[in-house]
Amino acid sequence: MTTSSPRGPRTRFRRRVSGVLALGFGLMSCALLYTALTPAPQVAQAQGDAALIAKGQQLFNGNCVTCHGSNLQGVQDHGPSLIGVGQAAVYFQVSSGRMPMARQEAQAIRKPPLPTYDPATEEGAANLEALSAYVQANGGGPVVPAATGDALRGNDPARGGELFRLNCASCHNFTGRGGALSSGKFAPRLDPASESQIYAAMLTGPQNMPKFTDRQLSPEEKKDIIAFIKSVEGDYNNPGGNPIGGIGPVSEGVVAFTVGLAGMIGFALWLGAKS
Amino acid sequence: MTTSHRDTSSRDTPHETTERDESRRVEPTAAELEDMSQPELARLAAELDDVDIVHNTPPWPVPGTRAERRAERAVGLWFIISALSALAFLVCYLFWPFEYVEPGKPGYWTYALYTPLIGGFFGLCVLTLGIAVISYVKKFFPDEVSVQQRHDGPSTELARKTVMAQLAAAGKDTGIARRKLIIRSAGAAAGIFGLGLGVAAIAPLVRNPWKGGPKAALWTTGWAPNYPGEVVYIRADTGDPHDIKLVRPEDQGAGSMQTVFPFRESERDDEHALAEALKRADNPVMLIRLRPGTPVIQAPGQENYHYGDFYAYSKICTHLGCPTSLYETQTQRILCPCHQSQFIATEYAKPVFGPAARPLPQLPITVNEEGYLVATGDFSGPIGPAFWELGGNA
Repeated sequence: MTTSSPRGPRTRFRRRVSGVLALGFGLMSCALLYTALTPAPQVAQAQGDAALIAKGQQLFNGNCVTCHGSNLQGVQDHGPSLIGVGQAAVYFQVSSGRMPMARQEAQAIRKPPLPTYDPATEEGAANLEALSAYVQANGGGPVVPAATGDALRGNDPARGGELFRLNCASCHNFTGRGGALSSGKFAPRLDPASESQIYAAMLTGPQNMPKFTDRQLSPEEKKDIIAFIKSVEGDYNNPGGNPIGGIGPVSEGVVAFTVGLAGMIGFALWLGAKS
Repeated sequence: MTTSHRDTSSRDTPHETTERDESRRVEPTAAELEDMSQPELARLAAELDDVDIVHNTPPWPVPGTRAERRAERAVGLWFIISALSALAFLVCYLFWPFEYVEPGKPGYWTYALYTPLIGGFFGLCVLTLGIAVISYVKKFFPDEVSVQQRHDGPSTELARKTVMAQLAAAGKDTGIARRKLIIRSAGAAAGIFGLGLGVAAIAPLVRNPWKGGPKAALWTTGWAPNYPGEVVYIRADTGDPHDIKLVRPEDQGAGSMQTVFPFRESERDDEHALAEALKRADNPVMLIRLRPGTPVIQAPGQENYHYGDFYAYSKICTHLGCPTSLYETQTQRILCPCHQSQFIATEYAKPVFGPAARPLPQLPITVNEEGYLVATGDFSGPIGPAFWELGGNA
């Protein structure tokens, strides 16, 4: 057998080695490129401290596990999965007393929050933070901004009003009085909701409400909407004296007819009696 | 105060009335008229009209008393208050700050008083004007009672016969009955003029909804491309027509809805066209993004209308045209607030409750190479309430 070359085996070995090296180099550069170019995950995962999450899990197992399942996967006909709902959803539902639910009904209603999670008390606020950190650690999701109260009110309530009428008024009425939906459900009054709760509701779309991401309504637009809601709340913006329910032409028309017309007829009778 | 009592109890037969008319008519001669004073002439005028002035007491028999001057000042005061409120109304209307100020911000109360002030001053102006007129009448008009006789029954036989004869004679003398040409041409002139008036009054009420054939306003909306290949973008309304926010799929989260309108690049700087696109009644569309994995039933022929989880339905109710924008993300129902119609978003928006009988028309959408959501054509059917030509589709 004639070898092709006296350096045959060596050449083959070299070729193999260089092949392996080239492959290794290629893979390494791919990996480097990948790590360099891959963007950070879009959803911010609250990696928070493990103790907080553990405390949150404990609280979850005490109050929520029956309906939402031991792994937040939800329970058929009881409660939805909480994976990916985010800190904002937990904050909204628990701080407004909607969760834990008193009973299965058309929709969860606002009530005083469970003392364990009352954000007004120090302990309640800490528990709420732990519980939402636990849910946030499982799938991430929207997060309520750290700012609270007046810091969440925008500077332009007039634009907020415009956006409110375009996006919210169909269900919540033009001054946030709420309104009926199908089969016993309803859009609630917005008066009792805090700025953070309104912000969280827009971000997460609780129950049957559509959700408004920051790309659909920017944070500034959300803050202007909150400024509008707060500026028409209750008897706050009511130079006329009485809002008559704030529901527009129905109540205003009834009052105009019964009080106004009766008054005018009475005045006419008085005039007639005088002369 | 002037009061007229109609007294017919004593004289209730036409005969007596005629007799009285004759007896009363004592006309003064020209010389006597010359000598009569103004009050005497006024009294004569009343007498000629069969008015008896029973009594007439002037309210202030002695002119220039203190009481009279006081009454005059009181009436004048009401008129002055009225004039001042009218002036205050005008000043407030023109110069009071009316631009919205949020409660709690400086200037809120000044702004909040704008409407009450202009309303209050206007009301005060009208009210005091009324009070002034009434008190003037009450204080300064003489206290008078007059009685006017009522003339009963028809005119006398003599008067009726002669007047009719006079009219007939006038017609005969001009010979109008024989002048057929004049009668006909006059009739034509008056008739055509009247017809013209009638047409001018009624014509604006008549519209032709079929004008344009298949492109008639009944069948098409602002989403229909004006020429083949025109890109009709989907835009959001931020409250400012010039702030054109085109919609990309990543703008909406799963389980969301927003109301969108058509936008064409050719309309970018055209204020009128932009406003028209946002205001046109059949343009509003609900762009719904369902949660991933939501089971959906497509209408036959509309399988390609959606883009991924995005579905676009007309916002105008097919019952009476209210905006059906109450979208429930869990039950997937779209509610109409007017008559409680409900549509299912996951089944081509077909009605499941209430008076609406036809699904909400669906808009075919896709994403173009720039990454924007665009409409690929007009709706699957006509918008809003049914009309005759819909036939079986109504």
